[in-house]
Amino acid sequence: MSGQEPVARVVVVGNGIAGLTAADALRDAGFDGELTIVGDERHPAYSRPALSKALLRDELDAHELPAPTHGATELLGVAATGVVPQRRVVQVGGEELPYDRLVIASGSRARRLTDDPGEVTLRGLDDAFALRERLATRPSVVVVGGGPLGMEVASGALASGCEVTLVSQGRPLITQLGRHLSDLFTTSALEQGLTLVETGSARLDGPSRVLLADGTALEADLIVTAVGDVPNTEWLAGSGLARCGALEVDHRGLLRPDIAAVGDVAALPTPYGTRRIPLWSSAIDQSKVAAAALIRGEEAPPLSIQPYFWTEGFGLSLKAVGFMPPSGEPEYVDGGPGGPALIRWPGAAAAINYRIPIPRLRRAAAA
Amino acid sequence: MRLLTIELDRPRCEGHGLCEEAAPDLMHLDGNGELVIDVPQVEAGTPEARAAAAAVRVCPVAGLRLA
Repeated sequence: MSGQEPVARVVVVGNGIAGLTAADALRDAGFDGELTIVGDERHPAYSRPALSKALLRDELDAHELPAPTHGATELLGVAATGVVPQRRVVQVGGEELPYDRLVIASGSRARRLTDDPGEVTLRGLDDAFALRERLATRPSVVVVGGGPLGMEVASGALASGCEVTLVSQGRPLITQLGRHLSDLFTTSALEQGLTLVETGSARLDGPSRVLLADGTALEADLIVTAVGDVPNTEWLAGSGLARCGALEVDHRGLLRPDIAAVGDVAALPTPYGTRRIPLWSSAIDQSKVAAAALIRGEEAPPLSIQPYFWTEGFGLSLKAVGFMPPSGEPEYVDGGPGGPALIRWPGAAAAINYRIPIPRLRRAAAA
Repeated sequence: MRLLTIELDRPRCEGHGLCEEAAPDLMHLDGNGELVIDVPQVEAGTPEARAAAAAVRVCPVAGLRLA
């Protein structure tokens, strides 16, 4: 423990891939004390990326992860409601859980356009199963949001046989992935029958109407909004840990020596400023580093993230590394336009319908 | 000594290769992007077993098991 006080109890708030990985990594770092995970969903940890991909298509178990081996006490279906750092306790359902070290992995939730609880979004497992059922009845669908999630939902709905309109602020995916990849996905989506509506803004008017910037109204049986995510930090109000609603961690994922924040909830230092990187492998990398830092302190190595991102839809599968969106036109390393291809920009690389191990994709980005 | 077997559910594998990154000495994606388990068995409690567990955990489609 290198001169630090002994660590007997660790509490992890959040049972997504970040919380799960942190629990595993605490054990890997030699922590053999009492470990408690608090998760507000009643489900065991699952793979969130699968919810808008394989799970929406056909594979009912696509989200399932292997059973955990960290031996933690899991409190599932209950939410943590507060932290008192001075007394080192987490408040859960009227009880206080004491800790020596705390991992905050409370994730994020769907950003909503209204306060209406009936607004359909896709973030958790329950959302995904409900959406699957709705799509099976082949409703007409409007998806609001042209980011990766909106595009995946639109693709899943088309594949289910629905008539689908995507409402996007500007070109789909252009903010996230840049012009080249946006063009590629948009072309493929239109070929597969997606109706695309670009608008400056959109708002919901009841359960089946979307109003666009120019006053046009779109009607559909089902409207799904996919307009980003909001970090779950409200429960930390009064703890002094969040600054303007953001949990800004250091380069080891720590808020203070005894508290880490990891995964979608955390804003971390990057070459492009302090920002959240709400992606699967980012959550895993952050959690490993932060867990080691909680146990071993400054001996533990700092975080170095090269984001990895993937999406699929409309017959295309994309894997990309590096900070997106890239600028300018890519160079084709292998393949060519219209087919399987490996392409790169300075500091980023992408594989389109092209199987490649991530380490090789990273090397292409670095070349 | 307890041996653990790394099991691959091949139809699930999407070829991300995050597992190779976590455990490069145990598995790799071949030239066709197919995962090859180079070391199918590891001894429980060893660094290899920890690497195998990390590879299992990092797979976003749960294509690997360690049993």
